Amino acid sequence: MTGGEPSADTAALRPLLEVSELRVAFRAERHTLTEAVKGVSFAVGGQSTVALVGESGSGKSVSAMSIVRLLPENAEIAPGSRIVYGGQDLLAATPAAMRNLRGRDIAVIFQEPMTSLNPVFTIGDQIAEALRRHVRLGARAAAARAVELLDEVGIPRPAQRVRSYPHEMSGGQQQRAMIAMAIACEPRLLIADEPTTALDVTIQRQIIELLARLREKHQMSMLFITHDLGLVGEIADDVVVMQSGEVREQGTAREIFETPRHPYTRALLACRPTLDHRPARLAVIADFVDGRQPPALSDAPRSVNGHDPVVLEVRNLRKVFCMKKGLFSHEAVAAVDGVSFTLRRGHTLGVVGESGSGKTTVGLTVMRLHEASGGEVRFEGTDLLALSDAQMQPYRRRIQIVFQNPYASLNPRFTVGHILLEPMAIHGIGSGTPERLAIARQLLRRVGLAEDALGRYPHEFSGGQRQRIAIARCLTLKPDVLICDESVSALDVSVQAQVLNLLQDLQDELALSYIFISHDLTVVKYMSDEVLVMSGGRCVELASADEIYRAPRDEYTRRLLGSIPQGWRTKTGV
Amino acid sequence: MTAFILRRLWQMVPTLAGVILLVFFLFNWVGGDPALVLAGKVADPATIANIRRQLGVDQPYWVQLWIFVKQVFTFDFGRSWSTNEEVAHVILTRIGPTLTIMVPVMLIGTTLAVLFAVLVAYVRGTLTDRIVMIVATTAMSVSFLVYIIVFQWLFGFRFGIFPVQGWTDDFWTNLTRYAPLPIILAVLVGLAPELRLYRSFFLEELEQDYVRTARAKGLSEARVLLRHVLRNALIPILTNIGIYLPGLFVGSFLLEVFFAIPGLGREIIGAVNRSDFPVIKAVTVYLAMFTMLVNLLVDLAYRFVDPRVTFR
Amino acid sequence: MASLTVVAFFVALMLSSALGFVAHDWSAEVGISYAPPAFIAAGARETTGAGLETAAAVTGPKPVDISDVDPLAPRYAEWRERAGKIESVRFHPSATLPLGGDKWGRDVLKKTIKGSEVSITVGLVAALLAVALGAVFGATAGYWGGRVDDMFEWLYNVFTSIPYILLILAFAAVLSRGLATIILILGLTGWTGVYRLMRAEYIKHAGREYVRAAQAIGASHAARMFRHILPNTGHVMLVQLSQHVVQFIKAEVILSFLGLGVPVSMVSWGTMLAEAQEELVIGKWWQLVAAGTSMAVLVTAVSLLTDAMRDALDPRLR
Repeated sequence: MTGGEPSADTAALRPLLEVSELRVAFRAERHTLTEAVKGVSFAVGGQSTVALVGESGSGKSVSAMSIVRLLPENAEIAPGSRIVYGGQDLLAATPAAMRNLRGRDIAVIFQEPMTSLNPVFTIGDQIAEALRRHVRLGARAAAARAVELLDEVGIPRPAQRVRSYPHEMSGGQQQRAMIAMAIACEPRLLIADEPTTALDVTIQRQIIELLARLREKHQMSMLFITHDLGLVGEIADDVVVMQSGEVREQGTAREIFETPRHPYTRALLACRPTLDHRPARLAVIADFVDGRQPPALSDAPRSVNGHDPVVLEVRNLRKVFCMKKGLFSHEAVAAVDGVSFTLRRGHTLGVVGESGSGKTTVGLTVMRLHEASGGEVRFEGTDLLALSDAQMQPYRRRIQIVFQNPYASLNPRFTVGHILLEPMAIHGIGSGTPERLAIARQLLRRVGLAEDALGRYPHEFSGGQRQRIAIARCLTLKPDVLICDESVSALDVSVQAQVLNLLQDLQDELALSYIFISHDLTVVKYMSDEVLVMSGGRCVELASADEIYRAPRDEYTRRLLGSIPQGWRTKTGV
Repeated sequence: MTAFILRRLWQMVPTLAGVILLVFFLFNWVGGDPALVLAGKVADPATIANIRRQLGVDQPYWVQLWIFVKQVFTFDFGRSWSTNEEVAHVILTRIGPTLTIMVPVMLIGTTLAVLFAVLVAYVRGTLTDRIVMIVATTAMSVSFLVYIIVFQWLFGFRFGIFPVQGWTDDFWTNLTRYAPLPIILAVLVGLAPELRLYRSFFLEELEQDYVRTARAKGLSEARVLLRHVLRNALIPILTNIGIYLPGLFVGSFLLEVFFAIPGLGREIIGAVNRSDFPVIKAVTVYLAMFTMLVNLLVDLAYRFVDPRVTFR
Repeated sequence: MASLTVVAFFVALMLSSALGFVAHDWSAEVGISYAPPAFIAAGARETTGAGLETAAAVTGPKPVDISDVDPLAPRYAEWRERAGKIESVRFHPSATLPLGGDKWGRDVLKKTIKGSEVSITVGLVAALLAVALGAVFGATAGYWGGRVDDMFEWLYNVFTSIPYILLILAFAAVLSRGLATIILILGLTGWTGVYRLMRAEYIKHAGREYVRAAQAIGASHAARMFRHILPNTGHVMLVQLSQHVVQFIKAEVILSFLGLGVPVSMVSWGTMLAEAQEELVIGKWWQLVAAGTSMAVLVTAVSLLTDAMRDALDPRLR
């Protein structure tokens, strides 16, 4: 099909794709080059799935995009790098030859289906385009084939859906359409770049299963890029672990999961909480890299305890958003509909749900960042929702929140010192600037940052460090309740472990109560005493953490739990 | 869709009321006593009082406002203060020449700008791109006045390719004989800023994820640009046209002044110089109405380029 | 960087002109009528010299006579006083001037400098006014939303439904002529673009987590609006400011050209161009070139500065 004429058996022995000594650098200014991929080598065999795993900045996506040469315009592949596909050196191929290869031999699926589909063309058009380009089908034949493909990827009523525009479909269906587009020309290699990261966990499960089935059926090979080791264990035959542009370890999935050799791999496997263990602390990368043995991980019990005083009691909380509809009419959408729970001192309530379940709205409404439409929020007996703004002010201090996006939650024009001093100045904590500075320094040390951070700006810090600053900002007010709204979701797993450990330590030390909101069921299980499962604005189930995961009563909860990637364990179990 | 149009028309009511109030405020309040303007410098108090009574400005403000509102909706602004011509007649006769110039300018200008913008976006980052951008930036910074003065002198006086100025009653003579030079001028001068703007629209679209998907399908760069990017870039381009379209009627008043084209623009300049309030008031209110209608049409046109737009 | 130098040069020129260091005597008739620029005069003397001299003989002394017989304009007396001082030093008007002379033998270079003072003053002050109005309106509407937003949106719709040029002309029709008036006109009509952008910025930022966090720690509305969000929109305002300076300089030139701008007692690039139109027909191109070029250089420099600022300040690109 491509390239020279190797004899039949050497072709069979040679892997489909071989990447060797790949080096990619990005040109920032005119003269500065930053190396993102530093001599990476791996291979993808025929009809197998290879997973590229790594945290952000590991160079996994850049490596994959180098294969199809879809890098940003300021990227440069260094001479000496080699990417051989079916005997053909792709880095030496002409742009025209690459275009013939893309979409026909090597197809790609991207992370964000919403933005990756062209908004102004129908799904059918976009699928047919690939067919007409490579298989030279006529317009009618291509349209008919597009319907078959949509059917194959499990989109109901494909003959109608083929005329839909991307915005008319859900995220999961968009990603299915992307997959249909990718497999349209029967490629031999499918590159899937974090294909499920933007999706809810139940949808993720369906897409993963679809990809595995299609790979098998069409006898493709797949290069699967992800940060999630749980997914890797389920889907991959071979695993390549990357960190800061280099390959740390590669081998079969069994080798990687059962006998990991490199400390980084071992750390990655250990720092992610699991559903069946709850160690008092999570292992962090630093525990492994120096060659030290990870600390003994004894399980710490968590449960609801009737003796601790109640700090927060929420009764029948409602939040209705008004949407304009028609000339005069408004449509009311209940984002939170009758949610009740009790939070005790020193305990954690986990709130889980998929996107649109109203879990974030609960957090914002409880502390009156949204005005509630009904219900009560009793803080030490006082109904916060009935207070005036002025009366509320002293209570603001008592309930604080840590947001999801560490890049948006700190004012970019404020120094860290300014960020930490402002809340103290508003609430008159400390007698003056010197005393407040002393408190700020002490808190920075407490969250694991150096004191010289005070004079620096947020953009000089990494995501994990910014989240620590956000936590320190809350602590300046000595709150009783801390709401963590997806506070670790945007962080890499290794950083996530550190922040979770910090939160645990702070809770033990200061007897804080947490409302821990997350879509990540494993993390919620790890952090919580009690778990509230939400769906469509309603509370589906509320029970102690261990109970809910051991014996879920509600159908939805069961489905949610069944969708969690189980990693290597289930694969051997099957 | 009917419901959408009705709703949009309903929403125009407060805006129109605002425009009427603004114009009323400007001309009946800020503008001072029109009688003094009308009567000239030498007038005895009796004449002034007489004029005041005729214009109704001795009435309380709310009566004056009511008169103005009635004028707007009966299309009867009376007569021009300086030429004594009916205001409605002034407007109707001046629109033709303006459109003869501005419609070709709009069509040719937009087509050329989009075309060149695509070409420049195709060679983005190259020396050609940089040179075109520098030329465009420089060209933009020279005053329109300078272009008109130089071109009129060069092609009218020096080379005599086009008549220096003039206008007739015959549409075809106007279009073929008197209009070409102003049209060419307006197109050329308008090209640089539009090219820059549209190029930036294209470059912004080129950074979107769907472009990467299109490339991953093996499409050629030209096809990515002409099919995927162009269609998306048309959305902001349409917005831009919607902004400029109402200006069509004021036209390029400078061109009309220089080339002695009896259009709306020249009429307004004249009216401003003569303090001929009825003409300015009428033109302002009706053009505002027209602008609102154009905005509605542009909103409807979005539906054809952007399927995400729904008429709710 | 070069653009910054040019802009700085023009601003320095403007300040020194405003303070009277240079070009205060722009209206003095120091040369013969239509004195050619010095740099071409040497070469052109043989061909056009004779014609120029006759022109000077005919029109040269004329304006002096006018100032004598026109007691209604007090300025003429002032000028004559000044002219008298100059004449005592240099009795004969010079035949050539650095950038040529105009109909009355005034120095085009000095007129250009004085004109730049007017243009930059108008551009800068009007742009400051427009951006300030737009920013305050946009911030208020975007931050508060709801009724307040509806009100400002209404105002915006009213102002934008009248074509911009027409709006300026309508204001010009009712206001008297003068430097302050033209600044007021441009400022009062030019805020809409800034408003649109600032409103969008405020809506975007008001929903950002750092503003929510500020609310959570109990920061007041004013603190959130001005201390938290405002500095984060600084780049938008700065870029808008310089864009409006360009726009307003161009507008001032056109308005002055049409006689709706600065009064006749002042010089502006627009009035220079108005004179230049007639002059070009009789071959006197230097006033056109002087006014046109200096404006083009300034506008190019400000535009490039705007582009550079946009690239440097846009947080997306950092």
